[in-house]
Amino acid sequence: MNSAPTSGSGKPIWVKPWGYAEGWFICLALLITGFSLQLTIGGLDPQTLSWPLNAYLGGGITLLLVVLWSFARNLEIVRWLARAPAAITSIALITFLVLLMGFTLQGSQGNPVWVQKLGLNHMTRSWPFLFGIAFFTASLGMATLKRLLPFRGRNIGFFLNHAGLYIALLAGILGAADLQRITMDLRPGEVVWVGTDQRGQLRELPVALQLYSFNMEEFNPKMTVVTSDSARMVDGIETQMFEITKGARGTIAGLDIEVLEYYPLAMAFDGRYEPVNEHGAAPAALVRARSGQGRSIEGWISSGSFMLTHMFLPIDSTYAVAMTIPGSASYSSDVAVYTASGDVFDTRIEVNKPVSAEGWKLYQYSYDQRFGRYSQLSVIELIRDPWLPVVYTGIFMLLLGSVYLMFLGKAPLPAEDTETGQEAQVHDEGAFAMLVEEDAVSTNPQKKAVTPTYESELVS
Amino acid sequence: MMNLDPTPYKALAIGMWALGMFLFLSAGKRRTVTLLAHATFLSGILVLAGFTWMLWMDLGRPPMRTLGETRLWYALFLPAIGYTTYIRWNYKWILHYSGVMAIVFLMINLMRPGVYDRDLMPALQSIWFVPHVIVYMFAYAVLAVSAIVAVKGLWLYYFEKQALSLSRFLPVLGPETDADGKVVPWSMQLADNLVYIGLGFLTLGLLFGALWGKEAWGHYWMWDPKETWAFLTWIMYLAYVHYRHHRPRQVVGPLWVLSMAFIVLMICWFGVNYLPSAANSVHTYTG
Ligand code: HEM
Repeated sequence: MNSAPTSGSGKPIWVKPWGYAEGWFICLALLITGFSLQLTIGGLDPQTLSWPLNAYLGGGITLLLVVLWSFARNLEIVRWLARAPAAITSIALITFLVLLMGFTLQGSQGNPVWVQKLGLNHMTRSWPFLFGIAFFTASLGMATLKRLLPFRGRNIGFFLNHAGLYIALLAGILGAADLQRITMDLRPGEVVWVGTDQRGQLRELPVALQLYSFNMEEFNPKMTVVTSDSARMVDGIETQMFEITKGARGTIAGLDIEVLEYYPLAMAFDGRYEPVNEHGAAPAALVRARSGQGRSIEGWISSGSFMLTHMFLPIDSTYAVAMTIPGSASYSSDVAVYTASGDVFDTRIEVNKPVSAEGWKLYQYSYDQRFGRYSQLSVIELIRDPWLPVVYTGIFMLLLGSVYLMFLGKAPLPAEDTETGQEAQVHDEGAFAMLVEEDAVSTNPQKKAVTPTYESELVS
Repeated sequence: MMNLDPTPYKALAIGMWALGMFLFLSAGKRRTVTLLAHATFLSGILVLAGFTWMLWMDLGRPPMRTLGETRLWYALFLPAIGYTTYIRWNYKWILHYSGVMAIVFLMINLMRPGVYDRDLMPALQSIWFVPHVIVYMFAYAVLAVSAIVAVKGLWLYYFEKQALSLSRFLPVLGPETDADGKVVPWSMQLADNLVYIGLGFLTLGLLFGALWGKEAWGHYWMWDPKETWAFLTWIMYLAYVHYRHHRPRQVVGPLWVLSMAFIVLMICWFGVNYLPSAANSVHTYTG
């Protein structure tokens, strides 16, 4: 793209009206300043900007944009920020930074020193990113204001998209410092009102939880074939594995396998399995396997549990038939919730179905993986996100705005950005020359404004 | 192992699309052949839609979990969008390009049968799962068609002479012509319309994902690698929209942006799985 010190029209840089050249220059300056700060004083700590500082800052930024737009519009930078060249160059800057982020493993581990020094592995907490977002937000905010007053009905779609993004973005970034995530370890019977925050500190909460039971449902395990010496799954049989149910039959690694009996929960009694409903029971199946030579072997297999061993059915010196460990279909905790305001209620907290209490949301977070369905521990995460209603307001506006966008194609092209009339006349000279009719290109801005039909605008 | 054998359905869809496209190309001004072409092409779409429905029922979960399953949706949406574009804006060549692309994707699925697995991990069991994935796959398909437009535009721009001479043998390689064989001037309207629709759906997909993330994990945006690349895809198309808005008469620059944007989209869709930065991603497609 065009980063020479003159804009596309040959206009010297910093002469009104500003265009792309000024935008690229600002991007470069922000990058240099940002990375210099990063190298000298290090990254940012988002936690420093908590309530009410972040609210003042958000309000202050918005007020500043409004005041500048209302009273200082004769400043070229103010007018320029509200126009497409600023939008496009700031979008390009954010794209560049997020691209760097997309190729760098984020987090503390596994990056060379120079990557860490430049803050590339904590991009969202780096100075260049902060500056990029500031430029981006300023442009977005100014563009919104430009089309807001005087208010016109046909600008509603524009407003929903741009104001929606402004609100969601600002509230999301500034509100991050007020987000609290706390995990609570629950064991059956105990009443717990203390949790651990993300820094590992203990925190007392206005909600206490008592675990009645941790519940897990599992999918049926799958039939597979492993090597008999190392019990590792045979390569390339993923597509042959099948779900174990009574009567199921299939061919894996050349073995014809049939399920004669299947118990989701069973225990071993002298070499055979019986269905039981006891702590530690595991799925078991009686199978018959036939190898290519027609030899048929019958026996029990089981995926085992923390109490019972994994059972294979060896066929020969290379292969054994085995059962996979079943995956969890759902897990949840039945709890009693006691709130500081005196409420008590029983509820179930399930993955994807959080429960609200006292301004907190309670999520089923984890359990003791070693014990699976018999876990005596359920970890609940409590999250408080006071800025969420603001972010959701922005998201809701964006949802409506995207519907508007889908219908935009039918609308005629808006009038040319007249402030950059001279730039806008730069078009791809000779592009598709033989495809273009002589008079298809109109260079008269007056004419364009009256007849904004698509074809005459677009052919070049 | 599954009760439903996908091969005949996929092969039938491929065959009907290929036949439909052949009929479209050879129809000329014969009305019956043209009608037959429409019928054949549409039947191909219906066959695949029927198969997708049966697969959904057979699995007992939405078939949207593995990469192969998302390719299936893509192969279903692409010809439907190509066909609609043809009907709505009368660009015949689009139909052929999207048809060929859909066939390629179905072929990949035929050669690499995915794992038939009914399990759906708890985090995916949400009312947001279906709208999120469907809206995304639809956006991807619309934007794929916009990428086809971009590549074709660049081809016509840089290889004007070759395009004209090759179009004598294969009309779809040349410029669009009207019923009398007269060359229609290149217009960006089709690309713009597709991007508006595609970007609208992309935004919906992104936001549905955010709302779902809040329900499932307690946060709407975590800059996970998949999310990072989804954001990049979104902002690339945003750049296109604003560039077009500002410089309505530039063509080649926007066409390049559109082509690049689709590369980013493909990295987001399946390339992320291979990036070292995605080592800890929570949501890459399996299979
Ligand atoms: C949700 C994301 C966005 C969408 C869907 C969107 C969409 C649009 C559309 C469709 C137009 C031109 C058509 C119209 O007049 O309605 C436009 C114009 C514009 N947008 Fe955006 N935009 C978005 C984000 C942004 C951002 C992030 C910025 C700034 C960084 C920005 C700045 C502008 C500017 C300056 C204009 C030109 C306004 C004018 O000439 O009056 N937009 N946008």
